[in-house]
Amino acid sequence: MKRLIAIVEDEPAIRDNYAAAFTREGYQVRTYGDRAQAMAAFAARLPDLAVIDISLEDEPEGGFELCRQLRALSAELPIIFLTARDSELDAVSGLRLGADDFLTKDLSLAHLIARVNALFRRVDALRKPPGDEAQIIRRGPLALDVERMRVEWDGRVVLLSLTEFWIVHALTRHPGHVKNRQQLMDAANVVLDDNTITSHVKRIRRKFQSVDPAFDALQTVYGMGYRWIE
Amino acid sequence: MSLRLKLLLLGLATLVLPWTGIRYAREMETALRESEQHALQAVSESIAASLQGRMNLLYRNADDSAPTNLGPYDLTPLVLTAPPYIDGYPDDWPHDPRAWRSYGNGAHRFRLLTGVYDRMLYVLLDVRDPRLVFDAPGANPLDSSALGDRVWIGYEDPQGAQQQVFLALTGPGPILARRIEAGEYGKESAVEDPRIVGALQPHEGGYDIEVAMPLSMVGRQFGVLLDDRDQRGADPLSYGTLRSDDLHTLGRLIVASPSLMPYLAQFMQPGMRLSVTTPGGAVLGQSDELAVPGVLAPAPGILTQIYRRFVDRSGEPQFIASDAPIYDASHRAVIGELDVTQAANRWEGLRDRALTRMLDWTLVTSAMLVIVTFAFAAWLALRLSRLRRASESALTKPPGAILDGISPQTLVSEFPETAAPDELGDVARSFSRLLGRLDEYTSYLRSLAGKLAHEIRTPLTIVRSSLENLEAEDVPLAARQYLERARQGSDRLNAILVAMGAATRVEEAIGGAERLRFDLVPVIGSAVSAYRVAFPQRRFAAELPAEPLEIDGAPDLIVQLLDKLIDNAVDFSSAGATIIVRLRRGPAAAVLEVDNPGPPLVPEARGRLFESLWQSRTGSDSRPHFGLGLYIVRLIAEYHRGGVAASDLPDGEGARFGVWLPLADVPLLPNYNDKVKLESV
Repeated sequence: MKRLIAIVEDEPAIRDNYAAAFTREGYQVRTYGDRAQAMAAFAARLPDLAVIDISLEDEPEGGFELCRQLRALSAELPIIFLTARDSELDAVSGLRLGADDFLTKDLSLAHLIARVNALFRRVDALRKPPGDEAQIIRRGPLALDVERMRVEWDGRVVLLSLTEFWIVHALTRHPGHVKNRQQLMDAANVVLDDNTITSHVKRIRRKFQSVDPAFDALQTVYGMGYRWIE
Repeated sequence: MSLRLKLLLLGLATLVLPWTGIRYAREMETALRESEQHALQAVSESIAASLQGRMNLLYRNADDSAPTNLGPYDLTPLVLTAPPYIDGYPDDWPHDPRAWRSYGNGAHRFRLLTGVYDRMLYVLLDVRDPRLVFDAPGANPLDSSALGDRVWIGYEDPQGAQQQVFLALTGPGPILARRIEAGEYGKESAVEDPRIVGALQPHEGGYDIEVAMPLSMVGRQFGVLLDDRDQRGADPLSYGTLRSDDLHTLGRLIVASPSLMPYLAQFMQPGMRLSVTTPGGAVLGQSDELAVPGVLAPAPGILTQIYRRFVDRSGEPQFIASDAPIYDASHRAVIGELDVTQAANRWEGLRDRALTRMLDWTLVTSAMLVIVTFAFAAWLALRLSRLRRASESALTKPPGAILDGISPQTLVSEFPETAAPDELGDVARSFSRLLGRLDEYTSYLRSLAGKLAHEIRTPLTIVRSSLENLEAEDVPLAARQYLERARQGSDRLNAILVAMGAATRVEEAIGGAERLRFDLVPVIGSAVSAYRVAFPQRRFAAELPAEPLEIDGAPDLIVQLLDKLIDNAVDFSSAGATIIVRLRRGPAAAVLEVDNPGPPLVPEARGRLFESLWQSRTGSDSRPHFGLGLYIVRLIAEYHRGGVAASDLPDGEGARFGVWLPLADVPLLPNYNDKVKLESV
């Protein structure tokens, strides 16, 4: 059975373009223009994944509310936030809404689809019983479950968004090597400017530090990029 | 010329006031002098009138007619101011060459000077006689064989009888006056007259004789005769004002009545001289108090003396004089003349007081006016410069300054002088309004980029996603190239959007930045090595200090700042050029400089380079520019409490962009920024 993706987006052209792309990828798509419409549909049937625009018509932050309601219905449902502004990324992240990724709208469709696929893979992996240890990268206190896209530090879970996970993954694959911003962007399937990468890295650090205040493994090499120190 | 100087000059123009005062004082003085002259004339005429016909008051021996025509033997004694000491020396006589009378016979002459003082008649004889012959010592003065030079004095006594005394010259010093009296049997004897005293002193070419006698002895007539002998007992050569045969007087003695002086004295005032003369001009009586300073003239003060130097004109007569004839009772003949002389400065005290007071006031007024205008000018200049500073700083302040949360609105509302009710206040208010508008305009412009970026992003997303969907469709090969072009176009559009939002994002990054203390040297060092990779077309030289330079701030932002400077340097230099990145320790700050060879700064760029939305770029390249790069540099420098500057390289072959960042171990002083700015970059 085809997986169902719900797109909540007030701009019909974008909504339809996204729908077309996902349909082409073999997903079943439902689109909604506002929160009430979406919630009514979700109450009837939960989608397998939701792509939600933060600003919905007359509600500038209607997406947040929708996310909260959706999360109340399902704890595992993958949610991707779309924003028109880079500056909202921090705000979204700070709200701890339990979304799986935050993206800006200038992300290309290919990248969006890569994310959706990755999130579905994770859902699948979580459903399978744990077993294949080879998929887990260990770097000191860090344990990176590539399959489930889960990160543990000292045995404690660090909740990273998909973009953040990919950045950490790219850095930890070759510890000590400097990854420049472009490499990180490629790894995370995003096209961002330098400031956004910097703020992503900052958020990653903050998330690790909330688990372990002494966290110091993610270093900045000024002018070049970042590296992971064991 | 500054406003202050102009107003000072204006104030100095009030010095015309004292000048006018001086002019006025001069005019007043002239008028005063004229009126004094008139008053004096009136005084002299009234005194003269009071003397009219009073011959007996004027002349000691009043006869019917005044001595209008003086004969050669008439004597008009000087009115002496002090009695000469009868010692034969003429030093204590007044020097008045016109008063001398000269009598003689051929080469033998004597000069005669007579004077009156306090009812005494004084006679001075200056005899030119190369051969002074004294009487034989101890001889009878009447012994004709023993006679030397001899002086006869003849006079008419008050009873009208002719009298004679002689002075026998017996040697230098006192000489006696004797009269010849007929005794019994016609025997004559010389009797000494003690009322008459005399003295003789020889001098070069002659001798002087002084004689004093009471005026009471003398009537109307008086004369002197000299018997000049070349040797003792010889026949004398006689000459003088006595008839030589009977020694009767030839000339009159014209002397004022004793009551004239007391009469004149009642008209006297200090600083005045009254004199009564004969119609011929000989002084009869004189009361002189010219030298006595007026009672109204205290010693002038220094200020008054200074004023006087300005007011007094040179060549002004010291005295004013007036004369009036004294007529006889019938008002037909003139019996005398009255001269009244008065010191011109008799009323000096009064005049000086008025002058001093007037000039004091005008000077004080002028000085106060000057001070007030100067103070006003200073105050005005202060206000104007405050206005200027405020408008300048309002223009140079980054709009919506993120430092210390100063918003442009508060800056505008704190504009000085806006509360002033005068014209300057109007200017300030309109300035403030203008700046407010400008501020709204710039902040609108600034936000426009961000807003535009946001607003364009949605349609761009539509275009891009549509294109991506189209690529997935079965598009004819011929159409693919258009698809590709559309894609490139949208990519470029996206890049533009990113560039437009750059400043906004940096401001957001600054807002969220965390300050930490770090060493600049390795940060700059590693950044420069990254540029070598990023810009292979340029060479990079890093000049870094050996010691660490610690600042408080965000290393990410510092690297962004350097990125922008390097972008700028790369844009303005040609391929293969060497860009120098220099970090050094300034007086209180770390100084980061980026030198790039290339064109010098355009003149209009000075002072504006680091403003938002300003660029001097004329050419165009593929990357979009919005004049935000150096603005971002400034934002980041100011976040670190530092500053920026740009200049041409010393050789003019390029530009230097400098940033100074206060060192962490240097305490921030109130005027810290100005100091560092002056000293470092």
